[in-house]
Amino acid sequence: MNHTLVDLIDISKSFGDQIVLDKLNLSIRENEFLTLLGPSGCGKTTTLRILGGFEIPDSGRVIFDGADITSLPPNKRNLNTVFQKYALFSHMNIEENIAFGLKISGKSASYIKDKIKYALKLVNLEGFENRLPDSLSGGQQQRVAIARAIVNEPRLLLLDEPLGALDLKLRQDMQYELIRLKNELGITFIYVTHDQEEALTMSDTIVVMNQGYIQQMGSPEDIYNEPQNAFVADFIGESNIISGVMLEDRLVEILGAKFPCVDTGFGKNKPVDVVIRPEDVDLLPPEKGTIQGVVSHLIFKGVHYEMEVQANGFEWLVHSTDMFPVGQQVGIHVDPFDIQIMNKPESEDEEALGVNE
Amino acid sequence: MKKILRRTYFGLILFLMYAPILTLIVLSFNASKSRTKWGGFTLSWYVSLFQDEAIMSALYNTLIIALVSAVLATLLGTAASIGISAMKPRAKTIFMGITNIPILNSEIVTGISLMLLFIACRVTLGFTTILLSHVTFCIPYVILSVMPKLRQTDKSTYEAAQDLGAGPIYAFFKVVFPDILPGVISGFLMAFTMSLDDFIITHFTKGPGVDTLSTKIYAEVRKGIRPEMYALSTLLFVTVLVLLILINSSPKEPADTKVTSSRRNRKQVFRLAVPAVLVILLIGGGIGYSLKNAGNASGEKLIVYNWGEYIDPETLDMFEKETGISVTYEEYETNEIMYPKIQSHAIAYDVVCPSDYMIQRMIENDLLAEINWDNVPNIQNIDQSYMEQSESFDPGNKYSVPYCVGTVGILYNTTMVDEPVDSWDILWDDKYKDNILMQDSVRDAFMVALKRNGDSLNSVDVNELNQAANDLIEQKPLVQAYVVDQVRDKMIGNEAALGVIYSGEAGYTQRENPNLEYVIPKEGSNVWIDSWVIPKNAQNKENAEKFINFMCRPDIALMNFEYITYSTPNKAARELIEDPDVRNSKILFPDQEDLKNCETFQYLGEEADNYYNELWNKVKSR
Repeated sequence: MNHTLVDLIDISKSFGDQIVLDKLNLSIRENEFLTLLGPSGCGKTTTLRILGGFEIPDSGRVIFDGADITSLPPNKRNLNTVFQKYALFSHMNIEENIAFGLKISGKSASYIKDKIKYALKLVNLEGFENRLPDSLSGGQQQRVAIARAIVNEPRLLLLDEPLGALDLKLRQDMQYELIRLKNELGITFIYVTHDQEEALTMSDTIVVMNQGYIQQMGSPEDIYNEPQNAFVADFIGESNIISGVMLEDRLVEILGAKFPCVDTGFGKNKPVDVVIRPEDVDLLPPEKGTIQGVVSHLIFKGVHYEMEVQANGFEWLVHSTDMFPVGQQVGIHVDPFDIQIMNKPESEDEEALGVNE
Repeated sequence: MKKILRRTYFGLILFLMYAPILTLIVLSFNASKSRTKWGGFTLSWYVSLFQDEAIMSALYNTLIIALVSAVLATLLGTAASIGISAMKPRAKTIFMGITNIPILNSEIVTGISLMLLFIACRVTLGFTTILLSHVTFCIPYVILSVMPKLRQTDKSTYEAAQDLGAGPIYAFFKVVFPDILPGVISGFLMAFTMSLDDFIITHFTKGPGVDTLSTKIYAEVRKGIRPEMYALSTLLFVTVLVLLILINSSPKEPADTKVTSSRRNRKQVFRLAVPAVLVILLIGGGIGYSLKNAGNASGEKLIVYNWGEYIDPETLDMFEKETGISVTYEEYETNEIMYPKIQSHAIAYDVVCPSDYMIQRMIENDLLAEINWDNVPNIQNIDQSYMEQSESFDPGNKYSVPYCVGTVGILYNTTMVDEPVDSWDILWDDKYKDNILMQDSVRDAFMVALKRNGDSLNSVDVNELNQAANDLIEQKPLVQAYVVDQVRDKMIGNEAALGVIYSGEAGYTQRENPNLEYVIPKEGSNVWIDSWVIPKNAQNKENAEKFINFMCRPDIALMNFEYITYSTPNKAARELIEDPDVRNSKILFPDQEDLKNCETFQYLGEEADNYYNELWNKVKSR
């Protein structure tokens, strides 16, 4: 296993009355692609800015490669940032933009020249040396911003929603490009986004954040398949989140019907939240289902159909490649391993904390 | 049709807006001095303008003040903008409001406030105070043009620069500054323009001997408009126009995003070239100017504060040449304008020339220094009778040396008045109804009535004053008009038979209309004396005494008499007058007998002043 590059220890930060981060702890391993994912205002950008040195935490420490850099100014940190709005220097051409950091660190002219050439090749912008940033498209500008950051050979690259301003197609292309870059360069990426799909596609590790707390941390598969609370389940992909009662190990009652599942250790007759992904809901003829319902909504989505089924007073969201017309009687079946059981939060705070293990 | 109308209307408005300036520009090329006749095209006014040393020095002052204040204001204003833009929204709104107030504030209020502040802080008014004031009122304009640029600037570029290893200062100058540069430049040009054409604030904060173009033009125009002033105003207008065009063309940069790097650089170079050329011109001009004036830079100095047009300029040159003392000469219009400047100690004048009652007030307020008579031997040339008269406001003749004197009397037209005039009574004679002109000023009007009754013209006796007021009310139906300067013109034009007039003007009217006679009534009248005095805070008292002594020299006094045409109390100078008519003029040089009952005005105190004014209002409103 790679050793730890960055440690955030008990980081707290507030702006005025608003607490943005409350005793946040996070470790980032060398060579990891880690994504901070969450809705706006969850504290992910603040975390990134604390790493970059643009904010000083109210309390807590930032350890970078064994050294405390909590109050080190940005220009003294061995890391670089790719900003949301590219932040290119509009009065300098592409070459000058990329050379900016290298010139400050006093590299030789020939070294700088080679580096610019290499970086532009890396981001597929050969021949753009003398262009001005304003004459480039959004995607090209973003690639210049990345090139400008990586020529300095940072240990850590911070990316603050870098693809947020791009259109869908370009965003997808850039996602692959970033993965490729990361693999070629072998540097650690910390990536901030509110787009769960982006996070799932690129990350080694996803950190889901809400209201200044880490909700869940894990691989994309873990996060998607086993959300630890309703917030994560809701934020990562679409879900049916239904109140239920854990009757005993491996048996849960939802909407008056008993569903076999694989979860154990909740005790008997314990109220729980049940998460079922829409693609895990199987629609069958009525008599074959655990419960019965009527299709109330149907939309064609390309890869699949998206349906809503009214059953036992709950509106089930269903993704299926089979089409059931509106008004059709259907039976609902869920395989036991597709049912994810979560403790009910006892208060709103706990919901945010994600204490249920 | 509609289009034609629209264009005509637009053209008309433009014409009306620019007609005055157009007139000025056309006149500046007019070979004839007349304001209505075209005498052919000439550039001679421009040539003589550039040969006028005083104007060139004012021009240099203007430019150096504009440049230095614009540079300082740009530095301070840009720094302030950066500070303000980093504030929280609420503080930002408040501070922007505060910085905008000076722009909206009336200039005269700003000017007076600054003057009062300088005086309160005991800062001597001069070049520095003009500069400080200009910096002060220019800063808001810089902030106003830099702030929007800062707002447009993406803050993350600054952070990106730091992220790439730049220290805060390097990051600012390398990344933020180029982005706000258009705003900074237009702020600089705006400040430069504002400073260049400011008059009001400069007028209040300037000291003696320092003039900018605008104050110089004002001072010149007061004496009568010379065609050189048209040329100067035209140049000023063109300069400001060019600057405004530059300001308006500079910030519109990002419109064209496809500008190539080299083209943009050329544009930037051009914009930087403008201030650079200005600096070079100024420094070059400054060196040339100081080389030219190097001779004057010796230590001895003297600051003279005198009435406008109250000295032959040649005598100043002679004084400088003879003594090696360099004279700074400053003028005022009334005693009341002069007094506060002396009282406030804002400027250390060395010699001032106030009138009698004002000298009394200055002595009372301990503002004057006693003159060392050993240094003024020429005092013997002054007629003893005026020294005696002076005792009424300067007891013991300690502080003042009479410079110009005069009387008030009756000017009458011998073709309209048959009887001999020797008394104020004639102004109350029904025969001359609507043919009498009275002075439109409270003390002069009451002087006539009081003297007629045998009272003192400085009376503070309520009964005497009430009587005088009643007499004036009684006289009012006979009076054609209460006027000041028109007495002269109306009497010359035979428009009135009798008028109360100052002797200084009587001589001139007599030359214009030989039928006019001047008399000092037997009851007595006002004799006024303007005298040289030395303020207590004078820095060069001995030089001041040298100057006063010089002014008392018969040849110099004669030159000034011929230039000013007011009576001189210098009897030695009078003897040098060649024309016997002038030398023996009763108007200019009244006998002892005529002056027997005459008095000088004295300062009567606030209470009496108010009572006089109250009665005068009563008279005027009847």
